[in-house]
Amino acid sequence: MREFRYERPATVAEAIRAVAHDPEADFLAGGTTEVDLMKDGVFHPDLLVDITRLPLRGVRRNGTMLQVGALTTMEELAADRTLMERAPFVVEALLRGASVQLRNMATIGGNLLQRTRCRYFRDPAVPACNKREPGTGCEAVNSVARMHAILGASPACIALHASDVAVPLSALDAVVHIQSEEGERLVPLTQFYLMPGETPDRENVLRHGELITAVDIPLPPEGTRSIYLKIRDRASYEFALASAAVAVIMDGPVIKEARVAMGGVGTIPWRGFEAEEVLREAPATPDTFRSAADGTIRDPFVVPGTAFKVELAKRTLIRALTEVTS
Amino acid sequence: MTTIQQPRILGAGVDRVDGPLKVTGQARYPNDVNLPGMAYAAVVRSTIPSGRITRIDTTAAGKSPGVLEVITHENADHLGEAPATFIKNPQPPLQDDVIRYYGQYVAVVVADTQQNATAAAGLIEVDYDRHEAILDPHDPRAERIKDPWGEDTAWGDVRTALKRAPVMIDQTYTTSENTNNPLGLFTTLASWDGDTLTLHDSNQWPNMIQQVVAAMFGLPRDAVRVLTPFVGGGFGAGLRCWSHIPLAVMAARHVGRPVKLELTRPEMFTGLGHRTSSINWIRLGATRDGRLTAIEHESLTTLPLDGDEYEPCSSVSTWSYASPNVTARDQQVRLNIPWTNFMRAPGDAQGNFALESAIDELAWEVGLDPLEIRLLNYAEVDPKTGRPWSSNALRQCLEVGAQRFGWSNRNPEIGSMRDGHELVGYGVAGVSFFWYQQPCSATVIVRGDGSAYIRSAVTDIGTGTYTIMAQLAAGLLGLEVDQVEMQLGDSSMPVGTAAGGSGLTAALGSAVHDACGRLIKKFVELAGTDPFSPLADVPFGDVEVSEGRLFRKGEPTRGESLARILAVHGLTELSAESTSTPNSADQMGMTPAGARGARFVEVRVDEDLGRVRVARIVTVNDGGRILNEKLARSQILGGTVGGVGMALFEDTVTDKDTGRIANATFGDYLIPVNADIPDVHVEFVGEPDAFNPIGVKGVGEIGLVGVAAAIANGIFHATGKRMRSLPITMDAVMD
Amino acid sequence: MTTLTVNGTEYPLDLADPRVTLLDALRDRLDLTGTKKGCDQGACGACTVLCDGRRILSCLTLAAQCDGREITTIEGLESHPMQDAFVRHDAFQCGYCTSGQIMSAVALLGENRAGTDADIREYMSGNLCRCGAYSNIVAAVREVARHA
Repeated sequence: MREFRYERPATVAEAIRAVAHDPEADFLAGGTTEVDLMKDGVFHPDLLVDITRLPLRGVRRNGTMLQVGALTTMEELAADRTLMERAPFVVEALLRGASVQLRNMATIGGNLLQRTRCRYFRDPAVPACNKREPGTGCEAVNSVARMHAILGASPACIALHASDVAVPLSALDAVVHIQSEEGERLVPLTQFYLMPGETPDRENVLRHGELITAVDIPLPPEGTRSIYLKIRDRASYEFALASAAVAVIMDGPVIKEARVAMGGVGTIPWRGFEAEEVLREAPATPDTFRSAADGTIRDPFVVPGTAFKVELAKRTLIRALTEVTS
Repeated sequence: MTTIQQPRILGAGVDRVDGPLKVTGQARYPNDVNLPGMAYAAVVRSTIPSGRITRIDTTAAGKSPGVLEVITHENADHLGEAPATFIKNPQPPLQDDVIRYYGQYVAVVVADTQQNATAAAGLIEVDYDRHEAILDPHDPRAERIKDPWGEDTAWGDVRTALKRAPVMIDQTYTTSENTNNPLGLFTTLASWDGDTLTLHDSNQWPNMIQQVVAAMFGLPRDAVRVLTPFVGGGFGAGLRCWSHIPLAVMAARHVGRPVKLELTRPEMFTGLGHRTSSINWIRLGATRDGRLTAIEHESLTTLPLDGDEYEPCSSVSTWSYASPNVTARDQQVRLNIPWTNFMRAPGDAQGNFALESAIDELAWEVGLDPLEIRLLNYAEVDPKTGRPWSSNALRQCLEVGAQRFGWSNRNPEIGSMRDGHELVGYGVAGVSFFWYQQPCSATVIVRGDGSAYIRSAVTDIGTGTYTIMAQLAAGLLGLEVDQVEMQLGDSSMPVGTAAGGSGLTAALGSAVHDACGRLIKKFVELAGTDPFSPLADVPFGDVEVSEGRLFRKGEPTRGESLARILAVHGLTELSAESTSTPNSADQMGMTPAGARGARFVEVRVDEDLGRVRVARIVTVNDGGRILNEKLARSQILGGTVGGVGMALFEDTVTDKDTGRIANATFGDYLIPVNADIPDVHVEFVGEPDAFNPIGVKGVGEIGLVGVAAAIANGIFHATGKRMRSLPITMDAVMD
Repeated sequence: MTTLTVNGTEYPLDLADPRVTLLDALRDRLDLTGTKKGCDQGACGACTVLCDGRRILSCLTLAAQCDGREITTIEGLESHPMQDAFVRHDAFQCGYCTSGQIMSAVALLGENRAGTDADIREYMSGNLCRCGAYSNIVAAVREVARHA
């Protein structure tokens, strides 16, 4: 880890100013990505601005919305009663991510910004990584890649977005509050992440000096059923090979309304708009579920190690739909 | 009097004596030691698998804050050859510009803090002339070594027997590379005092480290002291003198301060060896009723360019089941890879997976219950020599295990047992394990207060040596366990052997056993010189010992305490030393059977997703005499967890072009977590083994063996899919 | 000067170099070596300590972030029943992961998550044990939880 300066400003404005005026500065929240990648030699900020004690912590109910301070930890949000009652799949996604220790550190804002687990990205000794060093290529595409993306991927980058909670939050159309010296802007989570394309180093719409201050989670109507199904090799403490976040409103055997997003498969949390179209006003049958899955996992880009994920992801979604509708 | 007369299990419930230190954080592992003036080292590793260093620029690193020294091959001390100790040790690092594998040390930086050392290491620039590397075991250019240990075995006529066999199984089984990954980061803290050297070092064999370091640095052996009172696990990783050790020693000499070199987790993957991958070709010939007529087992494992490894995979096929015709052959292939090395049950783990899978396939082929086929082919005597076993309760392991597991509830039809989305499968595997015993010394000393201690330069890597040796000596000296202290982990103690090969308990225990006998004899002789002693004219053979007293057999009042004998003779303590050597099979007229076992596993396979969960495990083992059932059970439990890892998760992945280990972190190299491990029933059967005086067989490794085969066999029962490659991941199980 | 409060004692700490993690500060500066380094990457749990009563990983926490916080390490447990239960159930072998396991287990009790074996397994899964003592860890935690 290279040397850096450490500051802990007292206000949000000061923190934003400190980062905005130093192109090599980073915000430091839970540290579970930032410190890790600094140790790996991937990040080398010259200034870390510690925001952990800024007043951006806590969950407030605002009508049909939960406003979550960006510094609320994963464990704190997972304990929120309203969320547990109205959108349990968000709680499930939180509790299936990482370990308790990490969830006590990691914040919601930070979780949305967590970096890929791609070992080619995380090891600076690997020369080719477009995400780490734009224009150098992608080593992962030619190597043994299993924990990698099949949607949104290309020969330029197959790095997976590893967040669990971002998956149901995408399904719910959560909105990110972004603060900068210019003021605040709101960006829906579904528009927050950028497809890697030829610039995998740009992962989201945040500009340098912008800070996520809160995330609004719209609460689905009462009676909505939801599920977060996470498939992985180990029973716990592992990132997803495939995951599905599904919320449905049923009308007898018919699905009135559905929200679908998938994790473990995309370069970004993958909202299944096509699946939702298929499911809306459709009978909850295996055929419906299969078409929803086919609609979601479309035009995958696979390498030998990830080929199995195409069918695994579909079956994961089918299983989630089967369970949530039965 | 000086033989063990206790029951089969001795001290069933004794808690680990070093437990209180470990649960309070007071046990000091090598990286817990901080010395005044200590500096910190960080290593730089090669990023090519083969070639030469053409330029190494340390300018920036040398100027980096806090840096005291940078050592590369250009300014490294010339070191002496590393001697082989049972097996080869890596030759000294930084002696030339040649790169043999990705991850080889090319420099070491010493600084005032770890942060400064690590940062400076990142500033070293290395240019290479890269040569083409050989990374694929099937590469025709790779050097192949046939019969590497002269142990290839054949009897009968396998070729003819296979030709004539009414039933034949001919399959290939592969296992992945695994990495030992003890939780404790291997650390060497080297401290010079003039021409003497002290090392706080993570290893499983302090005298080996002492010998190798002394040779490399041209020191007399007793000028090197190696301290390892605690080590954060090893599983075989601590059985060689790895290159970071001389690096730390060299660095300490350069800066004239103690230097701590703590490996990082990624460095643990390249710096300490790993379990070789294996390819096993097995052919079984059998009669229609499932009786084996031939076993042919060939294996191919890997080697680094400049190392060796003793890892026969095929030999399990020579001592597991009765067969009149057997061929077992091993080959090794040299690659540009980090060292392959011992990892819990080396060879046995992979060979057993192959053999026990093949036996299972045979059972299905002939329509026999997989349990029955193992009982049917039980080897009453050593099939190779015809000699009797020293003891062999494999049959009992299978029978007791089947009963505990409820094997009779198994519906033999594939896929017939179901629970919702999950297909349930029952799998069984037998285990015949070999172990290795080397000479080992110990001194037993009784103090003036009647308490005792044992000294031997061995390690307790978590196996319980501190505890069971205290128990053993306490029993033999007639003391309470808490009156006996086992002192270990110091190379200046009587020469100890490796905590490896499941042989330490037999080796050290035999030495302790004999030393205790000699010590009692000394006490009796001493008492004999005192005309007033109640034992004055009692012959040695008539003396018994209990509660710290010697007395005449049948006359408990006629005796005196060990403490009193010492006091009468003005002694503060009395000691006896002994060195054990393994018995010879020829002289004993029997074959040391090693531990035996049976594994019964219930697996649950998600029929859509291919996800495998292990629902319960019954593991029954014949470990000979069990010195402490609580601790022996832990060894088996731990082995079981390792077996689940090997079966379902563990896979050290190497990039095919660069030889870089692609998943060298705990986030990427998966080992089982708590939630992966179901209820495990552990049971011991069998009798004290006749091959050594204390009757033990060693249970440190056998627990791992057979788990993978039982899981794979269970998956077949659940799904009808035969898994012949480890680890078994959902992509392989999914349709 | 930063003040680190560990096990109720205040330690003044010169953190001119903010790279020092809480783990390194404990081990290298305060000689509180009961907290272990198993990966230094947030993936093994050996470095688990309590920060204001919650379990965290000290390897990914900068020491500078901890001033004003109450840090509890294994050395700060005063004969906690969990320690005794770990010994009796032989819930460790080499002992290297044990400090982290015990700190996690103590926190688990406070989180009210030790109701079932399945919960104990799940919520102890952030602590790797390579010796494979998991079943005995579950037994130790279960026993303490029942008597709590």
